[in-house]
Amino acid sequence: MSKMLKASPQLARRHPWQERLAEDWRVFRGNLLGRIGMGLLILFGLMAVCSYIPPMVNAMYHPMTGVDPLVLKATPPSLRHWLGTDFMGRDIFSQLLAGARVAFMVGVSAAFMAVVLGTAFGMTAGYMGGFTETVLMRLADMIMVMPTLLIILMLAALFGKLNIWTIVLMIALFRWPSVSRVIRAQTLSLKQRPFIDAARVAGASHTRIIFRHIMPNVLPLAFLYMTFRVTAAIVIEAGLAFLGFGDPGTVSWGMMLQWVWKTGHMFTAPYWLLPPGICISLITLSFYMLGRAMDEVLDPRLREEGQRE
Amino acid sequence: MRKFILKRLVQVVVILFLILTILFVLFRLAPGDPVSRLVDPNLTPEEADHLIEQMGLKEPIWTQYLMYLKNIGSGEFGYSFHYGEPVAKIIWQRLPNTLMLFTTAVILAALVGISWGKLAAWKKGKLTDNLLTIASLVTHTLFLPWLALLLVWVFAYHLGWCPITGMITDEVWLDPACGFFTKFIDVVHHMVLPLATLFLIHFGSYLLVMRSSMLETLKEDYILLARAKGLSERAIRNQHAAPNAWLPVVTSVGLSLAFSINGGALTETVFSWPGIGRELVMAVSQNDYPLAQASFLLVAAVVLLSNLVVDVLYAYLDPRIRY
Amino acid sequence: MAASVAEKVRRALLGATAALLCLGLSAGPGLALSDDIIRVGVLEEPKSLNLWLANDTWSQRVVDLIYEPLYVHSPKGPELVPWLAAGQPQLDAANLTYTVKLRPAKWSDGSELTAADVVFTGQLIQNFQIPLQSSKWKFIKKVEALDKHTVRYWLTRPKAIFLTRTLLTPIVQKKQWEPVAKAAQGKQKPLQVLLRFKVDKPVGTGPFMLASWKKGVFVYLQANPHFFGRQQTIAGYTLGPYIKGMILKVFGTADAAVLALRKGEIDYYWNSIQPGYIQQIKGDPNIKLFVNKKSALYFLGFNLRKAPFNDVNFRRAVATLVSKEFIIKRILQGEAEVMHSLIPPGNEFYYNDQVPRYGNGLSWNDRVKAAYAILKKAGYTWQVPPVSASGEVVKGQGIRLPGGQPMAEFTILTPPADYDPHRAMSGQMIQEWLRAMGIPALSRPMAFGAMVQRIKDQRNFDCFVLGYAKLSLDPGYLRAFFHSAMDRPRGYNMSGYRNPDFDRVADESENAMDPAVRQKLIHKMQAMIMQEVPYVPLYNPLVVEGVRKDRFTGWVSELGGVGNEWSFCLIKRAK
Repeated sequence: MSKMLKASPQLARRHPWQERLAEDWRVFRGNLLGRIGMGLLILFGLMAVCSYIPPMVNAMYHPMTGVDPLVLKATPPSLRHWLGTDFMGRDIFSQLLAGARVAFMVGVSAAFMAVVLGTAFGMTAGYMGGFTETVLMRLADMIMVMPTLLIILMLAALFGKLNIWTIVLMIALFRWPSVSRVIRAQTLSLKQRPFIDAARVAGASHTRIIFRHIMPNVLPLAFLYMTFRVTAAIVIEAGLAFLGFGDPGTVSWGMMLQWVWKTGHMFTAPYWLLPPGICISLITLSFYMLGRAMDEVLDPRLREEGQRE
Repeated sequence: MRKFILKRLVQVVVILFLILTILFVLFRLAPGDPVSRLVDPNLTPEEADHLIEQMGLKEPIWTQYLMYLKNIGSGEFGYSFHYGEPVAKIIWQRLPNTLMLFTTAVILAALVGISWGKLAAWKKGKLTDNLLTIASLVTHTLFLPWLALLLVWVFAYHLGWCPITGMITDEVWLDPACGFFTKFIDVVHHMVLPLATLFLIHFGSYLLVMRSSMLETLKEDYILLARAKGLSERAIRNQHAAPNAWLPVVTSVGLSLAFSINGGALTETVFSWPGIGRELVMAVSQNDYPLAQASFLLVAAVVLLSNLVVDVLYAYLDPRIRY
Repeated sequence: MAASVAEKVRRALLGATAALLCLGLSAGPGLALSDDIIRVGVLEEPKSLNLWLANDTWSQRVVDLIYEPLYVHSPKGPELVPWLAAGQPQLDAANLTYTVKLRPAKWSDGSELTAADVVFTGQLIQNFQIPLQSSKWKFIKKVEALDKHTVRYWLTRPKAIFLTRTLLTPIVQKKQWEPVAKAAQGKQKPLQVLLRFKVDKPVGTGPFMLASWKKGVFVYLQANPHFFGRQQTIAGYTLGPYIKGMILKVFGTADAAVLALRKGEIDYYWNSIQPGYIQQIKGDPNIKLFVNKKSALYFLGFNLRKAPFNDVNFRRAVATLVSKEFIIKRILQGEAEVMHSLIPPGNEFYYNDQVPRYGNGLSWNDRVKAAYAILKKAGYTWQVPPVSASGEVVKGQGIRLPGGQPMAEFTILTPPADYDPHRAMSGQMIQEWLRAMGIPALSRPMAFGAMVQRIKDQRNFDCFVLGYAKLSLDPGYLRAFFHSAMDRPRGYNMSGYRNPDFDRVADESENAMDPAVRQKLIHKMQAMIMQEVPYVPLYNPLVVEGVRKDRFTGWVSELGGVGNEWSFCLIKRAK
C-alpha cells in the first residue's frame, strides 16, 4: 500500500483548472493508446446516438419488438438487413446499435455511482482516520474480493428483480471499494500537506476542508478510476445477460449473445455471433486503453492498481 | 510475522462469519418458496404445512440461524433440494474439477505472462514489446464467454480438434481396457479449450504487470551495479532484475482472483465443465438454496484465503516490508 | 542461487504443461462400445434416483425405465394397457372395490414381484404422505393382498382418477424399502428421511437397471435380464428389449448434443431439437426427425379478483389481441401448435374442438378493431381511441374503465429468460400489443420461485404467462384449475375463477367413472371456460427429435416424443 501513498506533486499544488486540463490534454494526445481508445469510443458513441434512427425508418427495425414480416428465421446479411436477422426476424444491426446505448448507459451510470460512493467513503476514511477508517476499509476489503458477477447472479435469482437499473445499482454497490482505497491513500497524503493545516487553523469546518480542499485534488484520480469501473460494469452486465439473468426488456450485447447461444444458432449464424462479441470486447478495450492513457497522464505510479475486475 | 498472519487470519474468520450471516438473512428474506415445487397443490393446507414442516423450514428464525451456524461449523451444509444428497458431497465432487482447470490456467498464464513480460520490458520500444503489449491488451479485454464460443466454433466445430463440451468421454471410462493414462489423456483433451480460454484472458494482465514492474526494477541502482560489474545481459535479466519484479505479479494474482472466479463460472457454463461455478449458476436458476449458498460460501472462502496467502507470501518475499 | 532454481522449476512446469497439451490434442475419439448399446444424449443428468424425490424431467426419465406401474397408457390412445397387471381391474360396484391380478414378474434382483409389494407401495405413500403421489391415494380406504398375486383396493367414493392415475403409480420393492421406512418411522421427520434416502442400486421391474453412473458425465443402464415383458406381446407389440443397454451421455449444452448426433457419437438426442439446429440436420441422410405433439399447456392467466380482469369483456378483448400465430411462428419458430382450448389437441379423447376462438386468423388491424369493438361496447373509453373515426388503426392512448377512471398500470409476470426464453419473450410481445391499444401493461420477468409464490400463495399479481410442460393425459387438472374450492393459498386455481355452475359440472366429472360420460362433461367444462377466458391458452410446443437411422430402428411415437419405454423396449439394430 505504501507505494501508492506518494502522490505526485503536481496534483497537490492547486493549478488553475483550465491550465491543468490543457496540460493533461496535451500529454494525453501524445499517447497512442489514448488516441485509439478515444477514437473507438467516439465510434461507439455515434452508434448509440444512431440507435434511434432505424426504428424511425421502419417499425420492423425496432430492436426489441420489430420483426420483418417477410422473414421467419435467422437470415444472413442483405441489403434490407445489413447484419442479417435473428431467429424471429429482428434486425441485428438495429440491435447492435441499441446495444451500444445500453452499454454506455450501464457502464457510465454504474461507474459514476461506484466512483461517487468510493470517493465519499475513501475521503471519509482517509480524513477521519481511527475507528471509522478501520470499519470502512475492512468493509471495502471484504467487498473487493467478492466475485461481483456471482453475487449479483445470486441476488437476481433470489429477489427476481431483473430491471436494468437494479443491475446497475448492484454493480455500483459492489465495485466502489478499489476506488475508495486509492482515494483514501490520496486523502491521507493530502492531509499532511501544509495547506490543509492552514485551512484548519483558519477555522474551516471539516465539511469545508473535505469539499473545498481535498475533493478537487482527488477528483482527477476518481475520474481515472471511473474509466476502469465502466469496463467492469459493462462486462458484468454482459456476463449476467449472457447467463440469462439480464433484463429481457433491454437489448444489450450480452443479451444478443444469449439469444444466439440459447436458440442454437451459434454454429450456423456467424453474422449473429460475431458482432455483439466484437463490440463488447472493443468497448472494453477502448475504455481500458483510455484509462491507461489517463493513468500515464495523471500518475505513472498508480499503474499497478489499474487491474480490471 | 506470526502476529501479522494471526491478525489476518482472525480478520478472515470475522469476514467469513459476516458473510455467513448475510447469506442467511438474504436467503430467508428472499421471496419464492423452495418447497412449493414439492407441495402438491391438491393437498389441503394442513397437509402442505405438514410437508413444509417435514422439510425443516418451519422452525423459528433464531433456531434456524443457530442450527445453520452449528451445521456449517461442523461441515454440514444441508441437503440439496434437487439432488436430495448432502450439499457437501456434491461440492466435493465438483471442487477438484474446478481446481484442476483453474490452477492449471492461472499457473500457465502467470508463467507465460511473467516470461513474456520480462521479454517485453527488456526489449522496450521494439517490435517484440509492441506486439506483446498490444496482444495482451486485446486478449485481456475480450469478452470471455464470447471467446469461449468462438474457440468452440473454430476448434471444435470446424476443425474438430477438441470435444465441444464436457470433461470425459464415457466410452473411455466404461471400457475396462482403458488404463489410468488413457483416462488422463482423455481429460486433458477435454480441458484444452476451456484452458485456452482462461489462459488467453489472463496472461495479458500478468504480462502487463510484469512488464511495468520489470521496467521499474531496471532503473534500480543494483542493476546499474551489475552492469558495471560486466555481468552478461542474460544474467542481469534473469538473476537480478526478474526475481524482484515478480512481487507485484504475486499481488496481482490475488487481486484478480475475484475476476477469475467470475470468468471461471462463465467458462464452466459454456463448456459444461462439471465444476463449482457451473453448479452455482445451475443451483441459482433452479432455486436450490442450500446448494447455491454453500457453493457461494466456498467461493468466498477460497477468495479470502488466497488473498491471505498472497499477503503472507508478499510479506515473506519482500524483505522491505515489515509488519 | 534461488533465482536459477525458480527459473528451472518454471521451465519444467512450462514444458510439462506443453507436453500434456500436445498429448491432449492428439488423443482421438474414445473406443466404440458394443454395437448393441444405444447411446442417448441428454442435457442434464438425473438429480436423484430416489423415485419419491425424482420430480425433474431428467431424473424421471431414468426412474421410469427402472420402476413400473400396474397399467400404462398405450402409445396409440388413452386406453389403459395392463403392464404389471394381468388384465383390466375388476369392479365390485356394491362395495366400491377394484381387484387387480398381477402377472408373473420378477424384480431386477431376481426375486418375485408379489401383491405384498403393491400393497406396501400404497401404504408407504399414504403413511408418509409422499408429495406429488399422496393426493392420488387420498380416497383409498384400504389396499389388501388377497393372495400372492391379487390386490384389492377399497375406495371411499367413486373417483375417475383412480383408473387414470392411481393405478399408474410406480411399484417399489418391499424388500428394499421396508427397512428404510422402518428406520424413518422412528425419526422426528420421517418424510425427510425417506426422501433423502440415497438409492445406490434401485431394484425395479422395468426393462433396464442401473449399471454404473459417473456423476456429471454418463449414466449406464443395462437391460434387465429378469424383465417380465421379454417376448410378451402387449398392446400389439412384442417387447424386447432387443438392446443390451443404454448409455445416457450428459452434454450440458444443446450445441454439443446436436453435433454429437450429426457426427454419430450418439444415436438419439432425448430432447426437443431447437429450430436453429433443424436446418443443419434436415439434409443429413443418416438422421431421421420425429415430430410429435406434447401434452403441455402454455397460457396467459388473469387475476379475476381484480379490475379490470374481473370483466369478461376485457379478458375477451385481450384474448382477441394476443396473436398466437405470431408467438408460434416467430418466438417458437413454428415448433408448436395453437391452443384454443385448455386441453391439448393431442389428447383427442377429451379435447373439445368447438370452443370460441378469439381473434383466430385475424390480421393485426382486424384484431385491434375487434378488440376495440368489444371494449367500446362494454363502456371503455379512450383519450385517443385505437381506431379513429375514419376507421384507421392508430396508437391508442389513455384507456378508461367503464366507470370513467383511468386504467392503472398492471404487470404481466413471466419466468426469466434463463428459465424459459419463450415465455419471457411472449410476455414482452403481449405487453407491446396491449400498449398499442393504450392499455398500460408492463411485462416483468421474475425468478420462477418468487413468481409462483406471488401467484399461488400471496395472490398479489395482475396477470402472468405460465405453462405446464407435462400435463397428465387425464383431464382432472381442468377441475383443479378452475374449481372454486381450489381458490385458496397454494391451490391450483390461480386466477380465482368462481362459477357455481362450473363447480357442479366439474364435481360430476370427477366422480364419473364411465369414460364416455366423463368425456361429455369435460367438453362442457372447456366450453364454459373458454366463454369466460380466465386463461388465454397460447401454445403447445411440438417435440422434434432426431435419431440415427443407421443405428436403430423401430421407434414408437407417442404424445411427448419417441423417448418412451415402448421405444426402448422395441428398437432393434438397423441392418
